[in-house]
Amino acid sequence: MDDFLSRALDLASVQGASYCDVRLVETNQERFVVRSGAVDTLSNDESLGIGVRVLVNGFWGFASTNIVSAAEVDRITGLAVDIAKASAQSNNGPVSLGPPVTSRGVYTTPIQIDPFSIASEDKLGLLLESDRRMGLVKGISARTGNLIFIKEHKTFANSEGAHVEQTIYEAGGGIMATARGNGEVQRRSYPQSMRQQGCAGWEFVDAMDLVGNAESIATEAVALLSADHCPSGVTTLIIGASQLGLQIHESCGHAIELDRVLGSEAAYAGTSFLTTDKLNNFQYGSEQVNITADSVRLPGLGSYGWDDEGVPAQSTPVVENGRFTGYLTSRETAAGLDLGLKPNGSMRAASWNRIPLIRMTNVSLEPGNWELEDLIADTEDGIMMEMNRSWSIDDRRFNFQFGTEIGYEIKKGKLGKILRNCTYTGITPEFWNSCDAVCNDKLWTMWGIPNCGKGQPGQIGHTGHGAAPARFRNIQVGVMK
Amino acid sequence: MLGREAALVLLDKALGYSKAQETDIYLNAQDLGLSRFAGGTIHQNVAHGNVVLNVRSVVGKRLGRATTNDLSDSGIKKAVESAHQNALLMPEDSSFIGLPPPSDAVTVESWDEATAFCSPETRAKIVHGVCLQGKGHDLNVSGACRTGVQEIAVVSSHGTRAYHAGTFAGLIINTMSDDSAGWAKGGGWRLADMDTEALGREAVGKAVDGRKPMAIEPGRYPVVLDTYAVDDILEALSLYGMGAQAVQEGRSWMNDIIGDRAMSPNVTIWDDGSATQGWPVPFDAEGMPRRRVDVITAGVINTPVHNSYTAGKDGLVSTGHQAYFTGAPIASNLFMQEGDSSLQGLIGSTERGIYITRFFYTRLAHSKGCVMTGMTRDGTFMIENGQITHPVKDLRFTQSYVDALAGVELVGRESKLVLNEVGFATRVPALKLANFNFTGVTV
Repeated sequence: MDDFLSRALDLASVQGASYCDVRLVETNQERFVVRSGAVDTLSNDESLGIGVRVLVNGFWGFASTNIVSAAEVDRITGLAVDIAKASAQSNNGPVSLGPPVTSRGVYTTPIQIDPFSIASEDKLGLLLESDRRMGLVKGISARTGNLIFIKEHKTFANSEGAHVEQTIYEAGGGIMATARGNGEVQRRSYPQSMRQQGCAGWEFVDAMDLVGNAESIATEAVALLSADHCPSGVTTLIIGASQLGLQIHESCGHAIELDRVLGSEAAYAGTSFLTTDKLNNFQYGSEQVNITADSVRLPGLGSYGWDDEGVPAQSTPVVENGRFTGYLTSRETAAGLDLGLKPNGSMRAASWNRIPLIRMTNVSLEPGNWELEDLIADTEDGIMMEMNRSWSIDDRRFNFQFGTEIGYEIKKGKLGKILRNCTYTGITPEFWNSCDAVCNDKLWTMWGIPNCGKGQPGQIGHTGHGAAPARFRNIQVGVMK
Repeated sequence: MLGREAALVLLDKALGYSKAQETDIYLNAQDLGLSRFAGGTIHQNVAHGNVVLNVRSVVGKRLGRATTNDLSDSGIKKAVESAHQNALLMPEDSSFIGLPPPSDAVTVESWDEATAFCSPETRAKIVHGVCLQGKGHDLNVSGACRTGVQEIAVVSSHGTRAYHAGTFAGLIINTMSDDSAGWAKGGGWRLADMDTEALGREAVGKAVDGRKPMAIEPGRYPVVLDTYAVDDILEALSLYGMGAQAVQEGRSWMNDIIGDRAMSPNVTIWDDGSATQGWPVPFDAEGMPRRRVDVITAGVINTPVHNSYTAGKDGLVSTGHQAYFTGAPIASNLFMQEGDSSLQGLIGSTERGIYITRFFYTRLAHSKGCVMTGMTRDGTFMIENGQITHPVKDLRFTQSYVDALAGVELVGRESKLVLNEVGFATRVPALKLANFNFTGVTV
C-alpha cells in the first residue's frame, strides 16, 4: 500500500504541488444495538479509501476515492491539483504551513484485550442480559443498549518526509431505560448518555458493568416520573462528572479551536468569543479552573501518536488557574498568526474522504482537592445535576443551556429528594468564574464523546473529556418554562 | 458515478453470493464537490466519491447486517457472508415479518447534467461573486457551495430492483460585521435554479440591517418566523417523533395526541418522497416507494411514518421511510401548506413582536410536546406597530414546538425549499405565531 502513497506524492510534485499529504485509511467496525428485547442491529462495517491533499501555489485542493488502485490514485491526485488551482480564483493569499513536519514511526493504541477477539454472542449476551434486567422494573416503556468496537488502521505520508502508521482501537457501550406514565416521559442512562467510549480494548466495556447497573437506572427512570420538578431560580449547583464533560466540550473545547476563532467555521458551527487578543490576557474561569488539551491521556478518544498532519501527540495547557493560555491549532493557523503558536497535534479527519480539521483532543478539567461528600456537606442549599439530556450553546460559545436526566436537592449539606427535568443556563466566562470547588481524582473520569459534529461536508469527531464533579455558585436553574 | 447498469450488475453479483433465506442489498453512492470559503477566500476545496454496499441477510426471524465499500469480489463476498453469519448469531425477533415484498418501480426526475458535473471552477466563480457582494458593505463573507450526485439502488431476493440517481446543489452564505450577521441558504437538485446573487443579497441585507442590535428582555413575544426557522421546527418534529419507532417506544411528541387537533387549523404538514418541489428520492433503503403521508392535517395529528419493521408491528404496510441503512424511519421530504399572507403582511399584523430569520443549535429539552431549546442567529429584529424598528441581540428560547404550532395565526403564501446536508429537505412558508417563550439573551 505504501506504493500508492509514494505514487501520489511523486505525481503531485510533478503536477506542481508545493506540498502534498496522503492518508490511506482502513476502518473495521462492529455495532450491536438491542431495543426492548430484540436485536435491532448486529453489523460489521468496513471502509477503505485514500485521500490526497495538495497545496498548489499556496492554495488547497483535496480529492479522495474508495478504489485503491494506481489509476485511481493518479486520478484523484490530478483532481486535487485541479481543485487547488480553482481555489486560487477566490483567494486572498497563499497558505503557509510553517516548519516542515517529518515525523516517522508506528503507534498502536495500548489495549489489554482485542475487542474483535470477543465472540459476537458474548457481546450480544451482555446487552440482552442488561435489557432483561431493565425490563424487570415495572413502568419501563422502552429499553436500549448498544456496543461499538472500532479498529482504524491509518498510514500518513507527506512530501516533507513524514511517514507514520497508526492502529487506533475504540470500544464503547451504554444502556438506557425510558419510563412513561402520569403524562410524563423520563429516562436514565448508564454510564452516560448514548454510551461511554474510549481508546481501549474489550476491558473498557467489561469494566462498565452494564448488567449490574441496569436495574438501578430503570428504577430511577420510573421514580423520576413522580419526582418534583426542578425549581426555577438562582442557586448553587454541583455538576456531576459526566455532565461536566459535555460542559467542557461545548463551552471550552469548541471555543479554543483556532480555526473557529479565525472564522473558518463561521457559516456553519459559528465562531468563538476567545479571540486572539484574549490569549494570556483573559480570566476565563476562577483560580480553581485548570483545563488541559492533550492527545496522550488514555482512554480519551482524542488519544493517538500523531495527528492527520503528522504532528506528534502532545499536551497543551489551555486554562491555567483560570487564565486563558492556549488554543487547539493546526500548522496553517499556527503559522498564520504572529503569536508564537505551534501546531499542537489537533488536526484530525473523520475518514479517508474528509480533510483534517482542528478537532478537540482530550480537553479536560484537572482534578481539584475536594471529596464529593465534603463538597455536598459544605453546600448549604443547592442542586446536584448529572447525566446529560440536552445541550445547546450559541454561535460564539457564550450562552448555553443544558438539561440533565436527574437532579438531587441539597439541603443543609445533605443530598435530598430527586428532581426531574433539570436544566441550567449561563454565560461561559461568568459560569467558569463562579466555580469554587473541583473534586479530586477519585471521581475524575475520562468521558468519551463520539458524536461531535463539525465541518462541511460534515465530520463526526471522537473527543475525550476528563472531569470530576465541581461546584458553581449563583447559577440559573429550572428554565423549562 | 456508477450508472444504472453498473449499479444493478454489482448488486446482482452480490446477491448471487448470498446463501441466506432472504437477502437485500442497498447501494448508496455519492460524488461530491464542495468549496468552502471564509474571509473572502476558498480555504477548503474538496471532492470525494464513495460507493457503499449495505447487506441484510435473513434467517427465519433473524436479520444480520454488514456494509463495505470494497467492491472487489472478495470484499463483496466477505460482506455478504458476514451479514449471514450475524443473522445466525441473533435470537429470533417475533416482531420481524421478513424483508418487504417487491413494489412497483417508482421513478422521479431529479437529475441535471450540469449539476452532476459542475466543475470546481464554476463553484469558485459563484463563491467569488458572493464574496464581492459582501465586500461592498465591509462584511466578512463565509459559506459553502456544493454540487454532486447521489445514487441509490436496491435489489432483493424477493425481486426488488430499484435504481435512482439524483443531483444536488447547495449554497450557504454567512455575512458578519463586528456586531451583526446575516445568512442565506439555497438548494435543490438543479444548480441553475439557485439564484446565487439573490441569496447573496439576502445574507448581506440581514447583516447590514442588523447593525447596532439592542438587548431586549426575555419573555413571551408574538413572533414572525421566516422559512429557515420554520424548517427547524419541521426538522425537530420529524427527528423527535414523526417516526413510528419513537411512537411505539412512547418517546414521541405524538404519543397521546394522535387524532387530536393539537395544532392550529392553519397547520397542514405532509411528507412526500416523490414530490419534485422538494428533494425527491423515490424509494427508501428497503426499496419501498416513499409514499405521501399526511402527518398533520388542519392541526389534527394523523400518523407517523413507517419502515417495514415498525409497520409490521402495527399490522400496516411500510410507507417507505427507512431513509438510512440502520436506524428509525424518518420523514425527510416534508412540506407545509402555504397560506395567503405575504411576509410583509405577517409583520404588518404584529403590534409588538420579534421577526426571527433563523434558529441555531436547537436541541430537544423534553420529548413531551417536543420542547426545544436553542438560539436565534444571523438576523433577529423587533417589530413594533407592524414595522421592523431595530435589530435585537440574539435570544435563547425554551419552547414546545407543538404548542408553538398550536398558535399559528397566519401562514405565508410563498414557500422555500430548505435542503440540508444529509438529504433532509423541507418546503415551508413563513409563519406568524401567537407567542414564543424566550428564556435568555446572549452577550
